[in-house]
Amino acid sequence: MQTYNNIASAIFDFLFAPFGHEIALFDLIVWPVIIGIGALQVYKYTSNQAAIASVKRQISMHLLEIRLFRDDIAQVLKSTAKIIGKNVIYIAHNLTPMAVMIIPMIALMVQLVAHYAYQPAPPGSVELLHLKLDPDAAVSAQDVSLEVPAGTSLDAPPVRTADGQVFWRVKADQPGDHVFKVRVGDEVYEKGWAVGGEARKVPVKRLRNWEALLYPGEAAIPSDAPVLSLELDMHTRPIDFVWDGELGILMWAMVLSLVAGVALKDFFGVTL
Amino acid sequence: MKFARHWSTTTTWSLVLTLTASEAHAYIGPGAGFALGGSMLVLLVTFALAFAIILTWPIRAAIRLIKVGNPYKTAMAKKVVILGLDGMDPGMATKLMREGRLPNFQKLAERGVFRPLDTSVPSMSPVAWSTFATGVDASRHCIYDFLTRDPCTYAPILSSTDIGGAKKVINIGRYVVPLGKPKMKLLQKSQHFWKLLGDKNIFSIIQRVPITFPPTPFKNGLLLSGMCVPDLRGSQGTFSFFSTESEGDAAKFIGGEQTVLRRKGNSIRSRIVGPDNSVLKSGGRMTLPFTLTIADDGQSAQLEIDGGESLALKLNEYSDWVELTFKAGLGIKVSGIAKFYLISTDPHVNLYMTPIHIDPENPAMPISHPEVYAIYLAKKQGKYATLGLAEDTWSLNNRVIDEKVFFDQAISICEERERMFLDAVKQTKSGLVTTVFDTTDRVQHMFYRYLDPTHPANAGKDTEQWKDAIPQVYERADALVGKVWDLVDDPNAIFMVISDHGFTNFRRGVNINSWLRDNGYLYLKDENATTSGEWFDGVDWTRTRAFALGLTGIFINRAGREKSGIVSEGAEYRALVKELAAKLEKMIDPADGERCVRKVAMSQQYFDGPYRFDAPDLLVGWEGGYRNSWECAVGQVTEETITDNTRSWSGDHCVDPDIVPGVFFCDRAINTETPRLVDIPATVMKLFGQEIPNYMQGQMILPSDPKEGAAKGMLDPTTLEQSGAAPGALVFAPEERVAGERS
Repeated sequence: MQTYNNIASAIFDFLFAPFGHEIALFDLIVWPVIIGIGALQVYKYTSNQAAIASVKRQISMHLLEIRLFRDDIAQVLKSTAKIIGKNVIYIAHNLTPMAVMIIPMIALMVQLVAHYAYQPAPPGSVELLHLKLDPDAAVSAQDVSLEVPAGTSLDAPPVRTADGQVFWRVKADQPGDHVFKVRVGDEVYEKGWAVGGEARKVPVKRLRNWEALLYPGEAAIPSDAPVLSLELDMHTRPIDFVWDGELGILMWAMVLSLVAGVALKDFFGVTL
Repeated sequence: MKFARHWSTTTTWSLVLTLTASEAHAYIGPGAGFALGGSMLVLLVTFALAFAIILTWPIRAAIRLIKVGNPYKTAMAKKVVILGLDGMDPGMATKLMREGRLPNFQKLAERGVFRPLDTSVPSMSPVAWSTFATGVDASRHCIYDFLTRDPCTYAPILSSTDIGGAKKVINIGRYVVPLGKPKMKLLQKSQHFWKLLGDKNIFSIIQRVPITFPPTPFKNGLLLSGMCVPDLRGSQGTFSFFSTESEGDAAKFIGGEQTVLRRKGNSIRSRIVGPDNSVLKSGGRMTLPFTLTIADDGQSAQLEIDGGESLALKLNEYSDWVELTFKAGLGIKVSGIAKFYLISTDPHVNLYMTPIHIDPENPAMPISHPEVYAIYLAKKQGKYATLGLAEDTWSLNNRVIDEKVFFDQAISICEERERMFLDAVKQTKSGLVTTVFDTTDRVQHMFYRYLDPTHPANAGKDTEQWKDAIPQVYERADALVGKVWDLVDDPNAIFMVISDHGFTNFRRGVNINSWLRDNGYLYLKDENATTSGEWFDGVDWTRTRAFALGLTGIFINRAGREKSGIVSEGAEYRALVKELAAKLEKMIDPADGERCVRKVAMSQQYFDGPYRFDAPDLLVGWEGGYRNSWECAVGQVTEETITDNTRSWSGDHCVDPDIVPGVFFCDRAINTETPRLVDIPATVMKLFGQEIPNYMQGQMILPSDPKEGAAKGMLDPTTLEQSGAAPGALVFAPEERVAGERS
């Protein structure tokens, strides 16, 4: 998992932001279009294009049938049932290209989110650092302590809950890429915090399970660790035309890649 | 944080993703994401449409009930199916039934009735089917021929349709952008009887009935236009012949064009000529370049159309319909379909392309009502022929293709129509279904010479191989009758088979314009000239009193009606038409001393409808074996008056209507021994419990009690005049010949 994240990050850190992270729209336009074109090619060669064209033709035929024979209720019901059936067939035809596309698409979109969904915390801001322990671990919240790096400070004493969670209010005093050290028993876990400065890929959370694949900004927590997650509330990055945050980046990338795919399908001779 | 949990679930399994709606779909990827989105949209539209229709159905039904009542309350039938077989001849049908080759027609006649059906005057499809559609004669629906003349210019114009450009345009540089649809008007008068049924909430499906283009909207029904739908070039069918054979200029054909090909090794580069580019100010035809690569063994070729399809053509086989998209500029495209046939590759490459039909899936102009009906049919059964005269008779007449290629084409079109007809019969639970098949007409036109060993058109052509073509087409119609009957064999359904006219031989062509010249009724500007160009080029209108155009009509150059009319209304006019009729009826063929003309109808006396003034003043009823010559039909004056017809188009029906009645089969007995085409719409109105409108000229021919029908069973062929036994044609053996026949 960590190896994959390292490789993917190395590749995309190299490819992304050729003009710096400040110009977010460059990557957010170019890459979804490339995704769209790539997906078209995958779709073209992994799907049964003739069958898809045929089922689409039948769906539109039945839709027209509903309109043309609207006074024949039996016919309307029959056509409706057939459309539902053909839709299932249509979706089934899409499973193979979807299965082929899903891994590279996720990899790319995860990296787009990592690079552009969040921004460094402004100096002076106060955020929550949140640690969650594995309930099965042999340590408790009382065994957890935090070492605050220079340029940040603890704004209040930690709050420990009975179910193994610890919350710290931390304050960003100085700009920089700071690293908190969280001691859990004998082990130390680091958590980065980007404060101030120019836009860049910022760490958001560290996770122990496979979901760490979705947050490549920091190393995953080792699988034998007593910690489940270590995360810091981050500021979403406002970008013109795009909704803030992870969902905004994902929706933007999806819509733009779809638009690119649809616009170019005839050029590439693909039936969607 | 909440979103993160959603996010994590997205990667679990793609199938789950497809069936759940969440932001996680972003990770599916555009292709499948779009598919999913599309599916959801389709389902949404479907449910919305279905629910809207189902929820509003009781309200609509109630409104209909209040407005028009229950249309079937007094109906004698819930469903009427009329199979139209253009040109089916009662004599030929009788002969083939006697031979046991038409068992389903035989059964139909035995259960109900088979009689000749009185056709229209004149006896040609646009006139007859207009009578069928409206229930009135030509002087009321105003269709007398395929063509008429523009009285202002004497130039030919289509009788049925007026097509022009858009009323308003915008000029942008070298482009002319039309604002709105082009002008299209059906010139046929009166109204279709299915419109009357629709107004009374009786559903109809009308397919390919001639002279229904442009389609006229009506309630409660679907219509696919037939004869007179143009091809994409706006003509009534222009084929293309690509050949390396011709040296120098390309050959000139009627109804087609030749493109000379230059072969470089196995590769040929040429172009398909499409419609006029009305978007460009400079005009010109749009073209589609293509490359034809001949296989080394010469048995096939690869046709690659620039920016379009690439398809493998096999020697002596038709391709499927190929989509041809012409780009006019400004992103405007026009789509058509055509089939290709690779005739030969060695020593010459000969490639035939059918006329470019309007693409039914993406029609350049409306060919159905509602417009989506044509699209629906294309999506249901695949692309299909849309051209009015779909079977390309001109290419065979020009001997570009042979009988086999023509026959295969005709049968293929027939198969398409069978599918749409059977489907319509199945889908219509109550109401009217009518489809007209042209195959019977076209094949008889082109293969009649096989019935006559002495036909002038046989010279230099095969006379054996396709002797059975006409019977085969009748057998095909018989099989269709069997299939339809299986679907409509119900006491509440009535099944009829009709044809618009019969058939006879066409051995000799008479140029009436030449006859008018010889008899001092038509003059040429050049006094030394004896011939004119087409469309009266060279005719002196200041002295000409009469001229012929089309297949049976003679126009008097009437003062006040024609641009340079010289014949006064009243006595002069009446005397002239009488004189012409009398002389024409005495016309003798010098080749054998036979009479050419059976009778001549004087329109102003024969017709009494409001549009009789638009009729040709005289309608020539030829004897069997004769017809207006090809040159006469296009307004040309030739040296000779009567010549042999040597074209493959060797049978015809533009003769005296009495000798070419159509057929009438019904699964019930009828009231009369002499049913008429004009009776059919009146009968259908009555079968559905509706009053026959006063303007209709027909009457109900089915009895209210099926047991009471006086006319039933098989036809006695001795009641036929000439039908099925045209001069020279061996339809009946000599001992079977019937009354009225000439030897």
